[in-house]
Amino acid sequence: MKNESTIIDVPAESSSAMKGKAPLIGVARDHTTSGSGGYKRGLSIFDFLLRLAAIVAASVAAATMFTSDETLPFFTQFLQFQAGYDDLPTFQFFVIAMSMIAGYLVLSLPFSVVTIVRPLATAPRLLLLVLDTAALAFSTAAASSAAAISYLAHNGNQNTNWLPICQQFGDFCQKTSGSVVSSFVAVVFFAMLVVLSGVALKRH
Amino acid sequence: MSKESTTIDVGESSNVTKSTSHVVVDEKKKKSFVAAASGGGYKRGLAIFDFLLRLAAIVTTITASSLMYTAEETLPFFTQFLQFQAGYDDFATFQFFVIAVAIVAGYLVLSLPFSIVTIIRPLAVAPRLILLISDTVVVTLTTAAAAAAAAIVYLAHNGNANTNWLPICQQFGDFCQAVSSAVVTASIAVVFFILLIVISAIALKRQ
Repeated sequence: MKNESTIIDVPAESSSAMKGKAPLIGVARDHTTSGSGGYKRGLSIFDFLLRLAAIVAASVAAATMFTSDETLPFFTQFLQFQAGYDDLPTFQFFVIAMSMIAGYLVLSLPFSVVTIVRPLATAPRLLLLVLDTAALAFSTAAASSAAAISYLAHNGNQNTNWLPICQQFGDFCQKTSGSVVSSFVAVVFFAMLVVLSGVALKRH
Repeated sequence: MSKESTTIDVGESSNVTKSTSHVVVDEKKKKSFVAAASGGGYKRGLAIFDFLLRLAAIVTTITASSLMYTAEETLPFFTQFLQFQAGYDDFATFQFFVIAVAIVAGYLVLSLPFSIVTIIRPLAVAPRLILLISDTVVVTLTTAAAAAAAAIVYLAHNGNANTNWLPICQQFGDFCQAVSSAVVTASIAVVFFILLIVISAIALKRQ
């Protein structure tokens, strides 16, 4: 084996300066931005905005149902002519469920911000996906059970002699129906959030 | 600035030094291959669990839909004015339930091939993503059907004093029982769907 030798001029500056400039072999991947990180960050921002919209939708639904009281201007000694959300257990469940959903969404905002800052991290996204799936099921349950009662209030049921109360309580019915529609909008947002998290989680 | 100079012995030939620097890259490639193989192993396990859950969900949804469909009862007495029959088609919500859960059962049967594809190709992303998106739609539909039917069943059991809606379960006991079982079965199917979504998400995530 032939020995070769060469002469290298080392300037008198401290070696730590040279070390600082030396390139690393196998440079660590920059986890903040890269090609895929860029579009995942875009998905995270869209996720954050969807969450804000869903907070608005869920709290509007809860508030509208909560304040949907109506008292008819006439009365007798025997019959009740007031209608409120607490007259129907399903609507009570709806108000409580929608408030919990709005609270959950507010608490999930920091996790969403974390996914914006670190687009390639999978743990926050997976957590958000699992919790969003549960929240999707919960809000769909609240929305559709309230929708069933709303449908009954509007149409009644001849076979069971359940009278449609909307014919007397017009404002109450209007507010509860609007509230149900708003909660279905929140459900759509949740479905989009789940799909977003799934797309952002996928490998490349 | 005074210059210093030193002598460095370059002992080996240059291509050997080059190969030692490439070893770093090769090891990284080897590590990613190993990770892919072991990731494929646990992802295949998840895909098999996904397939079994789908089979269970098919059974559950078909049971729920048929329980509701066959939930008829005729009381043994009658008058000229009142109806003493109860069936699923007396309630719009129950009609929606039967149709929606039947559609979900059909979707599950159609999604079985995709599930098999994820078992065979555990690292493929597209089938899992398709399954995740359509499972999300289906969980929403099933939950909506189950919850709406549950609201009506609750009314049928308890009635509502404020709106003068009478609890019909007191007359139609068998009908109520069948309908309640259908709602419970559909709720079990919803739990299966949530598990399916979570499994697809875990299997999708990067190593």
